[in-house]
Amino acid sequence: MNNSEKKRMNGEAEEENEEDVEDEGRDAWERTYTDERSWEALEEDESGLLQPIDNKAIYHSQYRRRLQSLSAASAASRIQKGLIRFLCVVVDLSKAAGEMDFKPSRMAVIAKHVEAFIREFFDQNPLSQIGLVIIKDGVAQSLTELGGSPEAHIKALMVKLGCSGDSSLQNALELVHDTLHKIPSYGHREVLILYSALSTCDPGDIMETIQKCKKAKLRCSVIGLSAEMFVCKHLCQETGGSYMVALDEGHFKELLLEHAPPPPALAEFAIANLIKMGFPQRAAEGSIAICSCHREAKVGEGYICPRCKARVCELPTECRFCGLTLVSSPHLARSYHHLFPIEPFTEVSARQLELSRVASKTCFGCRESLLTPGTNKAGPCAACTKCKQYFCLDCDIYIHESLHNCPGCESRRITPAAASVTMS
Amino acid sequence: MKFQIEEVTVYFPYDNIYPEQYTYMVELKRALDAKGHCLLEMPTGTGKTIALLSLITSYALAKTESPIKLIYCTRTVHEMEKTLAELKFLHNYQVKHLGAAAKMLAIGLSSRKNLCVNPKVSSAENRDSVDAACRKLTASWVRSMAAENPNQPTCEFYENYDRAAGGAVLPAGVYTLEDLRAFGKEKGWCPYFLARHMVQFANVVVYSYQYLLDPKVAGIISKEMQKESVVVFDEAHNIDNVCIEALSVSVRRQTLEGAIRNISRIENEIDRFKDIDAGRLRAEYNRLVEGLALRGDLSASDAWLANPALPDDILRQAVPGNIRRAEHFLHVLRRLVQYLKVKLDTDKVEKESPVSFVASINSDAGIDQKALKFCYDRLHSLLMTLEITDTDEFLHIQTICDFATLVGTYARGFSIIIEPFDERMPLIPDPVLQLCCHDASLAIKPVFDRFQSVVITSGTLSPIDLYPRLLNFHPVVSRSFKMSLTRDCICPMVLTRGSDQLPVSTKFDMRSDPGVVRNYGKLLVEMVSIVPDGIVCFFVSYSYMDGIINSWNESGILKDIMQHKLVFIETQDVVETTLALDNYRRACDCGRGAVFFSVARGKVAEGIDFDRHYGRLVIMFGVPFQYTESKILRARLEYLRDTFQIKEGDFLTFDALIDVMNIELTDRNLNQRQAAQCVGRVIRSKADYGMMIFADKRYSRHDKRSKLPGWILSHLRDANLNLSTDMALHIAREFLRKMAQPYEKTGSTTGRKTLLSQEDVEKLGNNGAQEMLY
Repeated sequence: MNNSEKKRMNGEAEEENEEDVEDEGRDAWERTYTDERSWEALEEDESGLLQPIDNKAIYHSQYRRRLQSLSAASAASRIQKGLIRFLCVVVDLSKAAGEMDFKPSRMAVIAKHVEAFIREFFDQNPLSQIGLVIIKDGVAQSLTELGGSPEAHIKALMVKLGCSGDSSLQNALELVHDTLHKIPSYGHREVLILYSALSTCDPGDIMETIQKCKKAKLRCSVIGLSAEMFVCKHLCQETGGSYMVALDEGHFKELLLEHAPPPPALAEFAIANLIKMGFPQRAAEGSIAICSCHREAKVGEGYICPRCKARVCELPTECRFCGLTLVSSPHLARSYHHLFPIEPFTEVSARQLELSRVASKTCFGCRESLLTPGTNKAGPCAACTKCKQYFCLDCDIYIHESLHNCPGCESRRITPAAASVTMS
Repeated sequence: MKFQIEEVTVYFPYDNIYPEQYTYMVELKRALDAKGHCLLEMPTGTGKTIALLSLITSYALAKTESPIKLIYCTRTVHEMEKTLAELKFLHNYQVKHLGAAAKMLAIGLSSRKNLCVNPKVSSAENRDSVDAACRKLTASWVRSMAAENPNQPTCEFYENYDRAAGGAVLPAGVYTLEDLRAFGKEKGWCPYFLARHMVQFANVVVYSYQYLLDPKVAGIISKEMQKESVVVFDEAHNIDNVCIEALSVSVRRQTLEGAIRNISRIENEIDRFKDIDAGRLRAEYNRLVEGLALRGDLSASDAWLANPALPDDILRQAVPGNIRRAEHFLHVLRRLVQYLKVKLDTDKVEKESPVSFVASINSDAGIDQKALKFCYDRLHSLLMTLEITDTDEFLHIQTICDFATLVGTYARGFSIIIEPFDERMPLIPDPVLQLCCHDASLAIKPVFDRFQSVVITSGTLSPIDLYPRLLNFHPVVSRSFKMSLTRDCICPMVLTRGSDQLPVSTKFDMRSDPGVVRNYGKLLVEMVSIVPDGIVCFFVSYSYMDGIINSWNESGILKDIMQHKLVFIETQDVVETTLALDNYRRACDCGRGAVFFSVARGKVAEGIDFDRHYGRLVIMFGVPFQYTESKILRARLEYLRDTFQIKEGDFLTFDALIDVMNIELTDRNLNQRQAAQCVGRVIRSKADYGMMIFADKRYSRHDKRSKLPGWILSHLRDANLNLSTDMALHIAREFLRKMAQPYEKTGSTTGRKTLLSQEDVEKLGNNGAQEMLY
């Protein structure tokens, strides 16, 4: 992230004051403040005015690198993605989670980012469900059942926050296995373990459990908070998950959020199968009906299952009575972009931009000028490979991370008829 | 891949090669060109073995007019198997590329214990009894007896082999011990004798050090080797000790008592023979008059003992008259044993030089030097004449004769030390008379003289200039190579202070200080909480380890450790330790985590790999100096100082650090058990990482540190030279996090290229040629 970049900049600034300070050889207490020591990065311009810190370029280059690596992986072969995911998040709340190497403690950091992760997850995978499991005192307990409501999960986790005892990976895996193995075959079974401890105290042979998980096609991923453990690595290798160790808080967040977009489907799942889904109607304004989820009469604001006519409060969900999966079309649409991601834009150098035919030199997205204000020189920008439109960096990020559609390509597609006319 | 080093086309069975392997090969090739000896140091895990094998075999293929033979010496049978497996892989590759022209014969030779296929013999429990059991079935007189009496048991495998005679040959190929056994079973030939026979014809021979260094064995096995051979000593960092051990003898009370029993048994046998076959004894007498060298009538299977390092010219002399007759020889032996017995009955430590010892034997027991010198061969001849097959029973008298011959032969480089008790346990009388060899060059000298090139290589030969002096030879090439790494995957640290900032050391005046013990304990407790999987701790000695574990147990430190990891301890019992190691591995595998307490000079855990997660951290508590009060060590130091001008301190530090490094080596010993795909294994080995903590304030001194091998020194940053526990902890935490990150394997992006492809090597070769031009 940009932390490291900033750190370097700070390091340079400090070197004038303290002679033996290296980039890495800084004391621990100092390092924790580097992110906040933004005052040292301030610079003055000729007239003595403070210049705003420009992290944008750095941020953007980081983002591009990430995008490139992602697309490189997917471009190699057309990968199927699991859109309907059943994810168990296992949070290790053993004694090790109370360690203070992350501030204020590992536990607090985990809680904070898990919350963000759950929201992000449901945003990206509206058809999926999450269940929470915690490990404490050598046993694993299920905090929430698999469900689609972010608020319920977050609330349950915040209540249970507190750490003690040993950690047992095997117990957690057994519990998760019991929960996930009954999921229908179209759902992707995933486990994400946030592991603080450096050992696991197991009642039996963990290798057998790992094989069991492998057989049940659970994709287990682990994010470690302290160091690499062999058994975790083994687990991830066996089940096809990823194993990462967080360097610091920023890195941890990044690693966690990497799990939000759907992973490539396992080969065993690559068979296409049809899933029955219902698209319920919105209940009429003012109609009164007993809601199936709260079991009380409600006025308006609800959806009616197309098969059994039961009423539910929110989507997506499963009908309480007939078990039909209920979604709305925007949900499907929102999942759709994972299958057809927009290709990363190519970067355009200043020279290219100046030579380009686009007279206005404005961003196709926001219509802002692509020239740096004041100097009238071309600033950094990117171009879509398909429609060849230019975009400013902000729009580039917005298109790739939120919009998932290229405005240039979309607006061109409206006029296929016109195109054919000119051709003929 | 295939590439050129000067005029030699090297066939390397993998697609990529490390740069250090390439330079290693270049240096090796120059040494071969110069027909001289060389000394090469390269860290383990960089594929030394395959580099050696592929260069030397390719060299042999390129120089067809003067074919060279490769004699590869390993320390253990396990290493031998690994080497042969690598060679097999290489050979397949060469045959694929060159066809039949690349065919060669490579065999591994080991003792009967490892090669015997006769179920009746191979079931015996130890080496000596297998040898004896074999001899019982294959000795020439047994076989001639069997010709007359069909009930006399013989070994069918040997009989078949003998019947096939000249026809018994191995087809070209690479034979591991397992292959040899299988081949022997299939054909019904004895694999041991077949292998011994084929050694003369093989292109590559892989066997143990002893076959070259121990004069008793070398005389039989390695006599026929051609001069145009390349001898490789792999893992040769303690080759000097092997040489010394080969020529050292120790005599205890039990030995003498056994010897007396042996003598009376021989006497009985002689009497028996006098009655039934007096002619035999007379024939032997006549033969001895002719000289020892004319042992013409002895067949191959009977040649089971040879003279320990008698120069050839002596062998041609006649055996002195006073021991020619069997009875006289027995009298001499009896007097010798009696003399030694009196010597052992002393209650003070004595040290003598061989010259004065021989003089006193002469005056007290009336045995002159020449008679002593011939003792070993005379005994050998006698046992043969008496048709004694259960040789394992006669080990005691053999030891005595061995001793006598060595004392009689060498006037320098040895000393005789008599200790009435073990210094560490002065109350228990355990007298021992030791003939210690101090000069490692004695045993290895014939090897250097006989063979064209001798390659001494290991992961640690630092300081590299000491070896030529210890072994008394002149290497044409002596170089140390560094491991090229894509990242700093080893993190050595020197810890000089505990968490309370007081210095820690195992120096004699400090080691029992409770503060030091506590600080060491604290260090370990902290480390187990932040290091995943396995930790290995080394202590300077068993007694120190026992002491410190005891006091940790009392102060509750051990309990704190056990909360994080299980504790396993090495003991002097092999079975127990093997079990402990096994469980240690299991605990590391299943994620429970474990600590292994071991002793730096402990023989049990020697040569065990603590690689990958089995040894994420190695802590060396103290500097493992040899026990400096030991008389033997003192004598050796004195000798080294007088003869080779090696300072005592230098040698001790060298020796201690060699030992430390062996630990590190076993720790980083990344050799793979099976030769899998190259890239897989290459990356697997370089993907490994680990930390080392040297916990003693003395390590921060330059003279100690500078003896560490270069590849560790290069990772030892100045900032890590003088750490306290908390600082070490911090560094460890950061290091582990950093190493857990995925990384670029070939190092092409970071600009440090660590894996060369075919084109890279070709480019290197061209550049090299150009450099030489200018």
